[in-house]
Amino acid sequence: MSIAAQVERFVAMGTRVELHVFGGGFADALVAARRAIEDVDDALTIHRPSPTTAVNEGMLAGREVAIDDPVLIEALIAIEAVHALTDGLFDPAVDNRFGGAGWADVVFDPRTARIAATRPLALDFGGFGKGFALDRACAVLRDAGIVCACLSAGESSLAVIGEHPLGGGWPFAIPHPLVGDAVLVELELVDEALSISTTVGAGTHAPERAAMIRPSDGAIVTAARCAVAIDRSGGRAEALSTALLVADDDCARRLLGGGPARRFLYDLSQEAAPTVDVARMHAA
Amino acid sequence: MTDKDFDLTRRSFIDRVMMATAGAGMAAAAPWAVSAASAAGADPVKTNPVRLGVIGTGDRGRTLIQNIAKTRNCTVVSICDTYAPNLAKARQWVGPTTRSFSDHRAMLDAGGIDAVVIATPLNMHARHTFDAFDAGLHVWCEKAMARTIADCGAMVARSKTANRVLQIGHQRMFHPTYLNALMRAKAGEIGSLTQIRASWHRNNAWRRAVPADATDRQINWRLYRDSSAGLMTELATHQLQVGNWFFDAAPTRVIGSGSICFWKDGREVYDHVALIYEYAGGRKLIYTSLLNNARYGCEEQIQGSKGTIEPELGRIYQEVPAKVLALQRMQKDVARGHKRTVPIGGATWFPELPVTTPGESLGWGEYDETMLQFEGFGAAVRAGKPLPGLLRQAYQASVASLLGEQAMDRGEAMTWPTNLVAI
Repeated sequence: MSIAAQVERFVAMGTRVELHVFGGGFADALVAARRAIEDVDDALTIHRPSPTTAVNEGMLAGREVAIDDPVLIEALIAIEAVHALTDGLFDPAVDNRFGGAGWADVVFDPRTARIAATRPLALDFGGFGKGFALDRACAVLRDAGIVCACLSAGESSLAVIGEHPLGGGWPFAIPHPLVGDAVLVELELVDEALSISTTVGAGTHAPERAAMIRPSDGAIVTAARCAVAIDRSGGRAEALSTALLVADDDCARRLLGGGPARRFLYDLSQEAAPTVDVARMHAA
Repeated sequence: MTDKDFDLTRRSFIDRVMMATAGAGMAAAAPWAVSAASAAGADPVKTNPVRLGVIGTGDRGRTLIQNIAKTRNCTVVSICDTYAPNLAKARQWVGPTTRSFSDHRAMLDAGGIDAVVIATPLNMHARHTFDAFDAGLHVWCEKAMARTIADCGAMVARSKTANRVLQIGHQRMFHPTYLNALMRAKAGEIGSLTQIRASWHRNNAWRRAVPADATDRQINWRLYRDSSAGLMTELATHQLQVGNWFFDAAPTRVIGSGSICFWKDGREVYDHVALIYEYAGGRKLIYTSLLNNARYGCEEQIQGSKGTIEPELGRIYQEVPAKVLALQRMQKDVARGHKRTVPIGGATWFPELPVTTPGESLGWGEYDETMLQFEGFGAAVRAGKPLPGLLRQAYQASVASLLGEQAMDRGEAMTWPTNLVAI
């Protein structure tokens, strides 16, 4: 007997999102999961007026801002954690317009939901938002009793609930961004999220795409790299792949060592490349 | 093309028009096309055709003559032009018994015609129309209707008092692609329509060589203000009609800017126009036309909350992005009990740029819709009743084009006139 699937396909977070639920009969949950992602988009976007742009306006003007959006508060709490997890390499406040400003200059009190900055800066949740949105959508689906689902946000952020509908892990192959038909790595996921960050390949030259900036020196990262991170949390996975992309060798080793077989970094600067290339990986 | 091929193409063309006009809401949105296609679909035999006299046999007039020849219910029996070479060129497209005139009054006085086709310079349309009505004839007139808003209204009023058909040439109103586009818009496929961007961009002087026996004003009448409003009446009228048609309304106000920006050759009409037509509910038609860049050509981008239609390209674009093929394959695999690695992941997918998005075909008519206009006109003349709804569309399009000219000339917003003739 075939396994019924339901799909919700829509645009959010500036990209296309697909929610595939297996098992059938979860139409309302799919709509609720979509709404959860759209809520994150509404809260975190900086491309139209949002709670985040309101915070940014205040911090750029040197004011303390009271936040009343629960999604933004939750995101900021998660940001505190992933900033620490990545040794500061994932930094939503870094922007080469503001010199050396960064998350260390942000004063956020989750108890009072107030935020301020010691110097002018603005937040940008790129490199975190899609994974965070998938986390919230997964939570909605799990609450509805769904035990088997695959979620994609822009194809660079994926999350799965439970095992593959036919049992075992969900098998994914990460295509080589520069070499057609070649694969960087094959992975199996169960109740996990996957994030891919790259500086090369199709899509990296899209006009909407922001540059990757290294928080330590404010430089734009131009080296040909691709990072892959798997984590229970989509937000963490995305922050980790972003951090790996901008990390220097020492920092990269530290981060890779924190998640053996779950974090990968590929140097693609010498390309003419291989398949399932573990050798090129900077393992710890 | 053989006669048999021609008949098949004609049949297929009419079928497509009938299919498009059968959609929900289309009987009210394009009643003229329903009537014309029904008449044409009955495959009339050319035994007692409507006899037409064509006034103006320049390039456009000769094109019309060729299209009239394809109809089953109209025939050209007289032609008229004040410029002898135009008349001579037109003779190759008409039968040997067709009479020629250098004065339209002489043609009207000679009789033997049921209706006139007017393809003269814009400032002559009203006078030729009035003379034809006075002669008891029906009128098919090229767009725009007239050089002034008052004359447009007078043409409508005179058709009513003379009880004669007045039909204006707006071929898009009979085009299966446009009708199909409207049907899909009415069905909600592109959501709520809020904006139309229309352009007609060319890269040429729009100036014709003047023979030794003619004057510049005679040949290049489109470039002079007494005879034309230039881009507004000769090009924009078509697209303003499309805008009004898809918005199902006339504009409430127009602002605009016009200039002679590139072709500083003594012309009097603008070679660059940019206007915004406002419609109820905050909807807008943004219009540009210019004569020194053809990149974006002629198009109407009909923009809704769920998609966009570009009828000239014959494409419909949905806002919902294409499916992720790898996930689609995974779902099919699961359905047939097969587990396979899913190749996915890379830089975040961004929406494609509009110019590279392929969209979906609306279908394309191979047959010239001008033929159907004339079959509809022939049927209207025979019935003594105009095709429903058409004159209102044409009148509002002509008024919109002339109001746009006023907005640019005065540098101020012009509100939609409240004293238009009721139709």
